[in-house]
Amino acid sequence: MMSRESGLYRFWNDYSRNRVAVVSVVIILVLVGLALSAPLIMPQDPYDLSHLVLRDARRPPGYVGTGGYTHWLGTDAQGRDLLSAIAYGLRISLQMGVIATGLALAIGATVGCGAAFLGGRVESLVMRIVDLQLSFPAMLLAFVIAAVLGQGKSQLILALIFAQYAYFARTAHGAAAAERRKDYIEAALSIPLSSWRVIRRHILPNALPPLIVVATVQVASAISLEATLSFLGVGLPPTAPSLGMLIANGFKYLLSGRYWISIYPGLALILVIVAINMVGDQIREQLNPRLRR
Amino acid sequence: MTSPLLDINGLKTHFPTSRGLVKAVDGISFSIGEGEVLGLVGESGSGKTMTGFSIIGLLDKPGRIVAGSIKLQGRELVGLSARELRGIRGKSISMVFQDPLMTLNHVLTVGTQIRLALQAHERLSAAQARKRAIDALALVRIAEPQRKVDFYPHQFSGGMRQRVAIAIALLHRPKLIIADEPTTALDVSIQAEILAEMKELVAKVGTALIWISHDLAVVSSLAQRVAVMETGRIVEIGDTHDVLTNPQHDYTKRLLNALPSRSTPGQLLARRADVRDAAPPPRQPRKAQATAIGEPFLVLDSVSKQFGKTPGLVRSAAVRAGLVEPESPVRAVDGVSLTLHRGEVLGLVGESGSGKSTLGRIAAGIVVPSSGSVRLGGAPMMSKDKAPRKITTAVQTVFQDPFSSLNGRMRIGDIIAEGPLAHGLIKPSSVGGYVAQWLAAVGLDPGFADRYPHQFSGGQRQRVAIARALAMQPDVVICDEPVASLDVSIQAQIINLLIQLRRDLDLSFIFISHDLSVVRHLCDRVAVMYRGQIIEQGRTSEIYQAPSQAYTRRLLAAVPALPAAAVSTN
Repeated sequence: MMSRESGLYRFWNDYSRNRVAVVSVVIILVLVGLALSAPLIMPQDPYDLSHLVLRDARRPPGYVGTGGYTHWLGTDAQGRDLLSAIAYGLRISLQMGVIATGLALAIGATVGCGAAFLGGRVESLVMRIVDLQLSFPAMLLAFVIAAVLGQGKSQLILALIFAQYAYFARTAHGAAAAERRKDYIEAALSIPLSSWRVIRRHILPNALPPLIVVATVQVASAISLEATLSFLGVGLPPTAPSLGMLIANGFKYLLSGRYWISIYPGLALILVIVAINMVGDQIREQLNPRLRR
Repeated sequence: MTSPLLDINGLKTHFPTSRGLVKAVDGISFSIGEGEVLGLVGESGSGKTMTGFSIIGLLDKPGRIVAGSIKLQGRELVGLSARELRGIRGKSISMVFQDPLMTLNHVLTVGTQIRLALQAHERLSAAQARKRAIDALALVRIAEPQRKVDFYPHQFSGGMRQRVAIAIALLHRPKLIIADEPTTALDVSIQAEILAEMKELVAKVGTALIWISHDLAVVSSLAQRVAVMETGRIVEIGDTHDVLTNPQHDYTKRLLNALPSRSTPGQLLARRADVRDAAPPPRQPRKAQATAIGEPFLVLDSVSKQFGKTPGLVRSAAVRAGLVEPESPVRAVDGVSLTLHRGEVLGLVGESGSGKSTLGRIAAGIVVPSSGSVRLGGAPMMSKDKAPRKITTAVQTVFQDPFSSLNGRMRIGDIIAEGPLAHGLIKPSSVGGYVAQWLAAVGLDPGFADRYPHQFSGGQRQRVAIARALAMQPDVVICDEPVASLDVSIQAQIINLLIQLRRDLDLSFIFISHDLSVVRHLCDRVAVMYRGQIIEQGRTSEIYQAPSQAYTRRLLAAVPALPAAAVSTN
């Protein structure tokens, strides 16, 4: 299906030389598969209250509950099967991370490329705002927005976009400003093609590689941001529990010996973030012409 | 002296790559005596630079010498350790590279760099080193060497930088200097100076010189013997005059015949047999032209362009308050009036920094002039908005570098069709046929349409760029150094293509070039630019035979000439 000459084939060929990165891809695929198929393969819907039995609460890993199946990772304070809860939590965390990063990418790339192409006052003004925003920690911005907007999925996505678009705008601006000076842009202008067309068809595709790198890393940071906000109670509502909330739920039992309620969701979170970062590192290595051997 | 200074025998340098073995140097043998100047000529990829790197032991991994010997005064260099090679490099053999901006260190003064080069092989104090540095700069005719020794590379011009690089190469009075295209990046007049000085220096210091170049004329003015390389082999070697006037090998003949300076102006140039010239392009229905052939068509009326950063809010406030001086803008083009008649080819020549490219971009509607107007057939070229935009498609552009002027992420069919589609010249349903016609017109296989630019050579890419310009069905094409980055034989193809397209399509051209022989070959009229102004213009033959301005005379005199030859009688 993939021809030997195709770019994708060569990309994968180079990529597969990094064992850690390959393992990371496998981990991500497994976790995404787990998250997507959670309702099908998990023994319990942890948020259907009729499934929960209080007698099963806070049981250690390996406990066989009233439902007749083994709780491999134990249960939490409400008697939820932790493996199921983690799978469902992953669903929400990944969903938040991918949607928020995707939108932040679209907005940031448009802002950055547009500013670089238009130049002059517009560029200075827009990029100064972006710089100003970058000088605040993303966490702080997201926290303030989430606190103002209140709990909810869409509110949280808004907060994440607001905290993240500036990274994409900055990166897109840098890449686009470099592309802007190249001959093929002058060639497009001399035809003449409209500014919008030049941005969309010429600048954006060429500014994309660094954005892809930033996007992979930002998915991971969106997930951890979301988890942090949820942990602190300003993120998702209890009806849509993510990994962060699971960690928060088990937090108070951490020192009473019931470590599993917090630790397993935490491990899942670390696994996702590290794996995504490893993939991002390898992609950066391959797309960065300065590092190319 | 009976034994030669450098004796190379059966040298092979190979590069194993993921796409197979590249035989960069494939069994070459030659020798060079003390104080001799040998020209090494070939097109890109012929292995001439790799020959130089092999001699001086600077091969990049995974390249390595697989066979043969290199003997310097009888001492075998092949197989020496990195440490032993360092003892030779710079001391016995040194090298001058094409781009001194890349080889000089930006953050060290020239004096420091010379001291470091000295201390690599000698023990001497800072004061001694400084004195030697000043002497070295004086040797290569840098004015006020006492002061210039403390300059950083960016404070020198391109020619001066190359002189510094030559000074460093000469420091230890090496037996042999390898110069790899050292004047290619320089203007003709500076090239002429450096060539003359190099000739003198070599005689004075007594070093041997291997001068690597793609330019036969440059080599002929300097070298006693010349070796012609093709695909890793030396196809011909001998006395410079003999080789250039009576070449034996077909490749040398082809190389010489492809030079515009060897041919009657306006005639098609000799080209490689495997490349066919363009088929006549398809005629598209066009609206009746108001301007007749020979009438003024594209008229630039006292255009100027200043470059200066528009000051930001803080800076403009500071200027207004009198705290800082306003930045003085650079006048790239200074009140130029120029008329292109319909159907003619107007050459625009000048050295780098003369403003010829900026003027070309103004004529093409890419750069908005600070003042003055551009009119095409009586109608303005730019809209009258606050931010003027080009409003005609009748003027198109071909750029210098075909590697950067094509968007690497688009298929060439899309590159050619994008403009015509956006301007409604063709319907989406007829894209395939239209692109195929234009690819055929510039002598490319119509089946190439769904390939990407990186799959093509420089000459093929430049054809695509020409097809993109012509597919807009323009009346005027602005060519900014369209052949400057191409090899001689490919340059000949592109020049032939332009000559044919002009005949078939009634096009008018502005042809910007620093290469006076190409301009002479192609252009009806020539305008000479100097410091943003046109100092002389007229019919090509008149300007070339009787230039009225001293600057034009200097420019023409600086062009290295080949010995007049019996070449065409092959």
